[in-house]
Amino acid sequence: MGSLWLPAALVLLVSGIFLAAVGTTYRSDSSRAASVAVFAGAWLLELLAIVRQGQGVGSLPITNLGQFLLMLSWAILTSHLVVWLRWRVQALGLVLPPIAALAAFGSLGLLPAAAATPQAGRGGWFLFHTASATVGLAILTVAFGMAVIYLVLDRLLKSKRRLNVLERLPSLDSCDRIGLLALSLGFLLLSLGIATGVVVNTNLHQRLISAELKQTSPLLAWGVFAVVLFSRSILGLRGRKSAYLTIAGFAFGLLTVLGISF
Amino acid sequence: MLVLLGLNHRSAPVEVRERLAFTEEELDRELRKLAGHAAVHEAFILSTCNRVEILVRAEGPSAGLDAVRGFLAEHAAVTHEELDRYGYHYLGRDAVRHLFEVAGGLDSMILGEPQITGQVKRAYRAAQQAGTTGTVLEGLLRQALATTKRLRTETGISRHPVSVASAAVELAERIFGKLSGRTALLLGAGKMAALVATHLRAHGVGRVVVSSRTYNRAETLARRFDGHAANWDRSREHLERVDIVISGTGAMNQILGKDDVQRALRARRGKPLLLIDIAVPRDIDPAVNELDNAYLYDVDDLQGVVDNNMEARNQAAAAARELVTVGVDSFERWHQSLAVAPTIVSMREAVLELGRREVERFRRRLGPLTPDQDAAVQELTRAVLQKILHRPIRHLKAAAERGDLVSTTRLMQELFVPDGRGGRDGPGRGDSGDAGRRRGRGEADGSRPTADGERPAGDDDREGRGPFRALRGGKES
Repeated sequence: MGSLWLPAALVLLVSGIFLAAVGTTYRSDSSRAASVAVFAGAWLLELLAIVRQGQGVGSLPITNLGQFLLMLSWAILTSHLVVWLRWRVQALGLVLPPIAALAAFGSLGLLPAAAATPQAGRGGWFLFHTASATVGLAILTVAFGMAVIYLVLDRLLKSKRRLNVLERLPSLDSCDRIGLLALSLGFLLLSLGIATGVVVNTNLHQRLISAELKQTSPLLAWGVFAVVLFSRSILGLRGRKSAYLTIAGFAFGLLTVLGISF
Repeated sequence: MLVLLGLNHRSAPVEVRERLAFTEEELDRELRKLAGHAAVHEAFILSTCNRVEILVRAEGPSAGLDAVRGFLAEHAAVTHEELDRYGYHYLGRDAVRHLFEVAGGLDSMILGEPQITGQVKRAYRAAQQAGTTGTVLEGLLRQALATTKRLRTETGISRHPVSVASAAVELAERIFGKLSGRTALLLGAGKMAALVATHLRAHGVGRVVVSSRTYNRAETLARRFDGHAANWDRSREHLERVDIVISGTGAMNQILGKDDVQRALRARRGKPLLLIDIAVPRDIDPAVNELDNAYLYDVDDLQGVVDNNMEARNQAAAAARELVTVGVDSFERWHQSLAVAPTIVSMREAVLELGRREVERFRRRLGPLTPDQDAAVQELTRAVLQKILHRPIRHLKAAAERGDLVSTTRLMQELFVPDGRGGRDGPGRGDSGDAGRRRGRGEADGSRPTADGERPAGDDDREGRGPFRALRGGKES
């Protein structure tokens, strides 16, 4: 029964995405509300899958790529539900849940085969490192989503065509505010993840950093996000450039996932 | 019979409409006067700047039309010829449909405009206060308002603005979200710019700065918005501090170039700026729209927004008319069901009387009963008889909804009502609201106000049901 939680969550996720798409296309409030309920169901099932994995490994189940993706999917869904509850940004339902579904799908394929981290590496630093990096990446997904919506909105406003689509999107100002908040929080957690990653790397391999994708790409992402935040707070950089940079930073963050082998 | 006579912006010029219009002060008196006509049972008057609609439940179509024509002729000194020329009338289902379309804004000058619904509500309240609505008009107006609410929610017909000024507000909200605390700069003190500013202010824009070549005009306009006037030569400096610029000067050359706005955006540290250029020739260089965080809309762009929204409203109107048909059908079913109410009352009275007599007959055999036991026997008899009546009454109501009243009512009366008790409201009436014709006004439908404006006893019970409750059936039987 326990092994069915994740496939069931995936089915709910796909159904929720379908409902969100229908709700957005046809401006159906009931479909949009139903999509949120279905995402909440998927969130619960993923949580049950995580608990089951945790029972298997006897600690936080984040010791292989499959478990990491499962945790990432759950954290992204959590972020989506929080944003929905706080700001009712419906359009994000077409950005975050698909990413969560991809992560869940990857987890489903990798859970049985993924190599586990050696027992020696599963110390407190390691768990803190992976947990903060995972949650940080999930929150940065919100920043990415808001940046994408910002660009769509900006393009529609500039082109002055199909402006009736605008009512299905949040205002530019909301995109900017929520995106900045997510970026700041995600950046903080990413910084913690990188700092603790250095400690873990030193413990395991007696060196600060390795020239691997999973270690260089978070640094690149961190650098891009640092530029965005600096230029935003000091130089007042906003709008399209800021959105493009956020998307680029998130892409580097995703490269980290591809490089993870544990 | 429901009779509606009216005229609107399409059928009559304003000179005629203004003569026929009713002020709020005179509405109560005029409603009572209209309802006082011998042929009129219930009355409702809707008077707005674009239309006058008079709806009555009357003895019959011609009596109703004559009554309303006579009333209008007296009220506004219009001739019958003028009414025929500029007015229109609807009877029965058509009248119901017209009222639903009016309430939903489907007959308005601006398709789907929401103000008319508020006006219908106020007119309904006025008729209630004057005591000129009864069961039928109460049911009709409630159903009209419920249908209006549904069509607005489900079709979104009023969602998109269809005026240039409100389109500008909508754009501002898409950029800034809530407009409270935002600041607008008005360049020029023309009428159109002032109208846009009025809309923005109404939607929460906190501060308006007005700059015009004639400082006095700027000052006068600024006072209207509780804002302040700015010297024309220094108006560019305000670009750095405002969120929305509305430009509507009569200048022959551009007054804001790309460089001006770029400098302002730099000083604003990239905060977005919405520029509405409603001047012809245009005041603002179109190249401004190429700048990051600057959104420029000229009068053609705004008209494009309005045209798109109008198209969306037209599409929504088709769906809204389908919902109106559903609402009209629902009202008609309820209206039909009213016709069986007297038969149901007769059936119930006859059967319960039978029960009471049987209890009395058996009382001696039952021996002495305590008050509690006596009440229990009465209640038991009543409950059994109610249950026996339940299915026939449901059947009768279903027949009423199908429009198959004649044979079913006769059958029920033959089965349940002793001779001479069930004939007072026989079936076959085309319009249940005309029950008053046979029963005598103010008696059978319980809706007619008495001479002193009070409703007869029992009216509250009827009014509380509304169309849908009455249709549910079970309880009231």
